[in-house]
Amino acid sequence: MVASSLRSFIKDVRGAKTLADERSIITKQSAKIRTKLRDDHLSNEKKRVNIQKLLYLYILGEKTHFGQVESINLIASDNFVDKRLGYLATILLLDESQDLLTLLTNMLNNDLQHPNKYIVALALNTLGCLSSTELARDLYPDVENILQTSNDPYLLRKALQCNAKLIFKDRSLLEIFPLSIISSKLLENPIVCTHGVLLGVCKVLQAIFISLDNTLQKENGKGDTEDESTEQDLQQDITIIRTISDLIPQLSTRLSSLNSKNLEPAYDVQGIQDPFLQCELIVTLKWFFKIGNHLNLDEITQYNNNFNDLLTQLATNTSAAKNPGNAILYEVTKSIFELKLTQPLRVLGINILANFLTPSKNSNTGNNVKYVGLNTLIKVVPEEPASVQRYRKFISQCLYDYDISIKFRALGLTFAIMNEQNLTELTTELVKFLGEISKSHYSYVTSYIDMDDSKDLIVYTVDNLLKKFEIYSNGDEKAKLDTLLTILKISGTFIDLEKTNEFLIALNNMDDMKYKIATFSKELTQILDPKIKANTLIGNASLDLVMIWCIGEYTDLIKLDSSTDKKIVNDNSIVKYLSDLNDKYRLSHDTRMVHYILTAALKLSSKITNGQCVENLRQIIVSHSKDANLMLQTKSVQYELLFNQPDAVKKLFLQAMPKFEKKLINATSVQRHNTTISKAQNQNNDLLLDLLTDTVEKTSPSEVLKPVETKQRDIIADLLASTGNKSQHTGETSTSIPIEVVTLPSDAVSIHDGVELQVYEKTIDISPGLAHLELYIQPKNSKISDIQPLCAVPKTQKLTLSQLRPSNNLDVGKFVKQTLKITGSGKLKLRIKLSFQKDENPASESEQFDYKLDKTI
Amino acid sequence: MGIRFMLCFNKQGVVRLVRWFATSDNSTDPQEEISQIYRLISSRDHKHQCNFFEFSDDTKLVYKRYAGLYFVIGIDITDEEPIYLSHIHLFVEVLDAFFGNVCELDIVFNFYKVYMVMDEMFLGGEIQEVSKDVLLERLSTTDRLE
Repeated sequence: MVASSLRSFIKDVRGAKTLADERSIITKQSAKIRTKLRDDHLSNEKKRVNIQKLLYLYILGEKTHFGQVESINLIASDNFVDKRLGYLATILLLDESQDLLTLLTNMLNNDLQHPNKYIVALALNTLGCLSSTELARDLYPDVENILQTSNDPYLLRKALQCNAKLIFKDRSLLEIFPLSIISSKLLENPIVCTHGVLLGVCKVLQAIFISLDNTLQKENGKGDTEDESTEQDLQQDITIIRTISDLIPQLSTRLSSLNSKNLEPAYDVQGIQDPFLQCELIVTLKWFFKIGNHLNLDEITQYNNNFNDLLTQLATNTSAAKNPGNAILYEVTKSIFELKLTQPLRVLGINILANFLTPSKNSNTGNNVKYVGLNTLIKVVPEEPASVQRYRKFISQCLYDYDISIKFRALGLTFAIMNEQNLTELTTELVKFLGEISKSHYSYVTSYIDMDDSKDLIVYTVDNLLKKFEIYSNGDEKAKLDTLLTILKISGTFIDLEKTNEFLIALNNMDDMKYKIATFSKELTQILDPKIKANTLIGNASLDLVMIWCIGEYTDLIKLDSSTDKKIVNDNSIVKYLSDLNDKYRLSHDTRMVHYILTAALKLSSKITNGQCVENLRQIIVSHSKDANLMLQTKSVQYELLFNQPDAVKKLFLQAMPKFEKKLINATSVQRHNTTISKAQNQNNDLLLDLLTDTVEKTSPSEVLKPVETKQRDIIADLLASTGNKSQHTGETSTSIPIEVVTLPSDAVSIHDGVELQVYEKTIDISPGLAHLELYIQPKNSKISDIQPLCAVPKTQKLTLSQLRPSNNLDVGKFVKQTLKITGSGKLKLRIKLSFQKDENPASESEQFDYKLDKTI
Repeated sequence: MGIRFMLCFNKQGVVRLVRWFATSDNSTDPQEEISQIYRLISSRDHKHQCNFFEFSDDTKLVYKRYAGLYFVIGIDITDEEPIYLSHIHLFVEVLDAFFGNVCELDIVFNFYKVYMVMDEMFLGGEIQEVSKDVLLERLSTTDRLE
């Protein structure tokens, strides 16, 4: 059974027990309405019920398009109730873009001239809500007619509002608008001039200004190209503005008296006389002066001082106790800053806004004004920084507000006012704030803010603090280091590892080495002291990361530092700590951390002497040689190779980080970076080739190797880049290696005399199971670059190649040295292939030869 | 300029009133937008959080809860919020006086009358009459015509 009256339909829908029930009721009813509305013989009363039901469906969010035409038809009825429902349905179901609106033209035209003022009001209301440009043009005369002839404030205010909308739709209507009636009829006659009519007048004036503002903007956009129609528009508009400018004193007086007296209880809103009208008047006057000052019209600028006085009066007289008063005060400050008024007024504006922030306000209303106050202050800080500074305390208090959006804005404002002088003070405040918010993040019971929100807050704070530290880098370094560490400890868990890199950069670039070392010595002591042992338990990856990095960088210095307690901080404990971290992050599959651990282990190995500890470090590195993560695995294998290098070689690689300059990495430095990387890469290539050519296959090994090699190079580049802060490091580290000149020793023997290359060999040392050889390569005719020595030894032996010295690019006559270490047994035999590029020619050439030593190991 | 839309829904998110004053030019489905607004507002702490927030790049929301009903106004991002809170309050006061201690059911069953109140107060999204007495007098006159 489908309900017949609107009431029972609504009851049915409300009474539905399940969603499916509800859906079925709605679908049935919707189908029924559709059929009924199609029935031409349906009585108006029934039709009305159906349209009402349709509107209920609209509120529920159902499809209602099928009733649009019927709604419009209902307007044609002579019955007021039908007409009213028809207009309501039309307003709700149609929007301004629909063609159906043209159907309205005639009906509206008739109703706008109707003797019944309620019907006229309905028509005005509809036209104000739904008007296409065509409707606006066609019906404008009717609206103007009402303005001219009617004396009923009820109709006048509606006609004015409607008029304002029509001007929006089509600015050309402005030219025929009878401006004179505003002053001659509307404002003069006290019976006509109600608050509603004044609101309407304000809206019409605002519509005029907005349309003029658009013209001005078009004018600016056009620039030199003179557009005649815009120019004409502009002149016309200026004439209009001149005409209405004599309204300024009248409107000002209205506003002033509204603000100072409180006579009519009908317009009293929480102790404020009609705040709606006051706000509209302020906005309207603001428009007058905005346009007037822009065009420098004497008619308007002569009132500038009066307006300033008026704003001062409003600011001092309006009570800030309740929302309506605040709305007015807020509008006053907006005018002050939008019109860029004099400095005393700007200070006044800041004072009003700061007053919004005072904590004495009770919760909800208080937060509303805090919100708008902070929002506006953020915008005006650049204009009046000193005045805003005075309210630092208020702003800081807002950090602890209950409302997250207020917290965020207070933070934004705090950073906006931060400068070199107040850096320390505000940082202390923010660190305190971070502590609070991090704590609340974990206390589920007392926490009133969302976990995600608190994380956002922390991340935002830390990001901006880091940025500020970078800008004011000349500040007190010690305080800065302490702050950074405190931030890390408090909120390290929330900080992205990428962000932690910026901490590392900041630490790395710090000049005061002594303080830095002393601080980290203290930190390490705390972590390593078995009695304290608290920090490692918390999953603060960012702090761990910084400690790992410091161990890699500064262990030697920390050990030397006099403040270090050698009983707690020593090789054993440090290596043990690193090893624990390795286990921890290996289990948690946090590969990014492991990268850092590997690098730290490698670096540490060159800084400690205890054999067992060095072995433990090696174990850390080896522990990832079968890692499922390819990058880690590669890194582990490569680091192990580096690990086994003689100390002298290692030291060169593992020098302390240079100062990091944050710059955009330009193309050349990337290139330099790549070439240095490939230098370090050589030995790895060789090893791989060694494996490949071991089977004495002649299928040009370098080709087989090519893809692997380039890929590897990338990986290595990545790895090094991720261990250092940015890829630039690697470049700089490598260039800091002094360039040595290799000379040919006297006892070297020539073993190959090819087209391009001459190769000499020198035996350093041969003992059972081990041989040390050196190869010297010399270009004969032209400059050679990118030499890749590929060597193979018999299967019973193992070959380790070191890095080419001094580089793999060399000029004619110069030498490049390649050290070979052969382990195993059997006769010493070598197959050597040298691939290279000649004269920077990208095509690679190669020379290959065999060499037998008459020695056995 | 002016109010873009006015909404009223209860704590469960059932919509009681919808009114779009300006044709929304974004392509999002209005129903989807309404439920998004409901989700955002219902998750806010109405005692401690302020009554304004930014909803999208061009729209701010001003809302207030009266008993179980939320009244929401969407305004332009450049408009000022506090006065619109007074708009809502005035609207609810007028409804209260018109229905005599208004409750949710009054609005549910007499939604077309609520729209009538809205049209007396606002025209095309602008407030046109602010005196409660004037409004109520008009409303009772037109109500009697039924």
